[in-house]
Amino acid sequence: MTPILDIQNVTHSFGKHTALRNISFSVQQGEVVGLIGRSGAGKSTLLRCLCALERPQEGRILLDGEDLTTQPERRLVQVRRKIGLVFQHFNLLNSRTVAGNIALPLQISGCSKKQQAPRIAELLELVGLKGFEKKYPSQLSGGQKQRVGIARALAANPTLLLCDEATSALDPESTTSILNLLADINRKLGLTIVLITHEMEVVRRFAQRILVLDHGELVEDGTLLDFLKTNEQSATLKTLLADIRPTLPHFLATELCATQKEAGYKTTIRLLLGEAGSHAPLFSQLYQKFSVQTALLQGGVTTIGQHLSGDMIITLEGDQTLQALDYLKTVTQSMEILGYVPSHP
Amino acid sequence: MSPLILNLILRSTYQTLEMVLASTAISVVLGLPLALFMLTTGPQGLYRLPFAARLMGMIVDALRAVPFIILLVLLIPITRFIAGTSLGTEAAIVPLSIAGIPYFARIAEMALREVDPGLVDAVKAMGGTRFTIIRSVLIAEAMPGLISGLTVTLITMVGASAMAGAIGAGGLGDLAIRYGYQRFNTTVMFGVVAVLIIMVSLMQIAGNTLARWLKH
Repeated sequence: MTPILDIQNVTHSFGKHTALRNISFSVQQGEVVGLIGRSGAGKSTLLRCLCALERPQEGRILLDGEDLTTQPERRLVQVRRKIGLVFQHFNLLNSRTVAGNIALPLQISGCSKKQQAPRIAELLELVGLKGFEKKYPSQLSGGQKQRVGIARALAANPTLLLCDEATSALDPESTTSILNLLADINRKLGLTIVLITHEMEVVRRFAQRILVLDHGELVEDGTLLDFLKTNEQSATLKTLLADIRPTLPHFLATELCATQKEAGYKTTIRLLLGEAGSHAPLFSQLYQKFSVQTALLQGGVTTIGQHLSGDMIITLEGDQTLQALDYLKTVTQSMEILGYVPSHP
Repeated sequence: MSPLILNLILRSTYQTLEMVLASTAISVVLGLPLALFMLTTGPQGLYRLPFAARLMGMIVDALRAVPFIILLVLLIPITRFIAGTSLGTEAAIVPLSIAGIPYFARIAEMALREVDPGLVDAVKAMGGTRFTIIRSVLIAEAMPGLISGLTVTLITMVGASAMAGAIGAGGLGDLAIRYGYQRFNTTVMFGVVAVLIIMVSLMQIAGNTLARWLKH
């Protein structure tokens, strides 16, 4: 299948500063891809290249088979109408009502007033803002403004939806509802979505694939589960993953010993579970097979994209602990011994 | 107050309003495109013609540097060429407009500069043409500021039109000088001041109300 978006060896610099260095990746129709990186990693430049606002100095950007880097400006104006963009600060026109804002891309693509009204009503229904037509942006909350932003981005039936830090300016509750809305849109309309963010939490919940950008280079391309499994993580990946991985609380970490000093110390391990492992009655199996007592210290089972995944720190206690560890190696994605902690009352 | 004086004040008020409204209208109609030109040809603008932007800025500043009373005299040949005469209310509209255009242009430019550049980018990314960006983003979003600028220009023109009395333009300023100052007629003087205060207050109130309404 030909990808909807194909980036080939894109390099772009501003003066002496190279913002993007030899970036290549492709996105399939209907995919949700998270593009993550710290500030200054080149996310914004890449975004401006993707939405045809900036022309990269080298490389090719193919949208639906059309090379954007060689098209004249006149054609790029047309191409931009097929790319929906959702902004961090919403960028709604304060002089227009909600309906007026959503109508703007329709007006730009030459849609008559008569055709606009039903489309606007349909979009407002989709984003859950029915009856908000006549309100002004200043009367809306952040989450509502972003819903209008999404409706506007969808208005002209884009082939690609780019979200630029779409939830970074929102409170946690609105973030959740906006991410759910985007996931809904992806499911209902089969729309390809590229999420650009610096928050791992955002891509964890919703992206099927993650691209990591660091100092203008694409350093990782894979699923979150892939990243969690790799033992030799890149430094960038490690910092990014630290946000969402369970860690031993400080007071336990200071008590952690590398070897088992005396009896009563419990083996502490980090487990990574796939879909099957997350559904299995793992802890009771350990008890039945090896009479090993298990306690959960940190973490648990969460959702990555559409799948369950476990990432946790547990302690094991019992005579057959070594056998239990061997068994865990076979049924989990990865198992790492962190050390031994004394038992607490 | 005798009916004669009342009549004089009424006629002068009418002349002042004629000069102020006509010159403000011309200032806005020509000053707004000038402001858009200066903004869009600037370094971050949509058209980027840095040399043209600087040149236009210099012309505007030069016009604004000349005191209005001097400008009135300097412009007499041009006034005569456009209006056919350099005397009278209609003729005064020419120098008033020439002073008003750069004045409003600078104020409008400031209001347009206040528009969030993110909005311009957003509409550009939507595939909007430069015309759409100018009309639907720059002008529409700056409207409250433009209205405030219009109010300020209107009131400045009231003051400037008084000076136009020097070239026989008539109006309230002329009346106050000739009857109030030169003939020591305090009644006329106070009458004129009262009319001016009411006129300016009404303009300010109307401008504020409109700007607030546009802000939503």
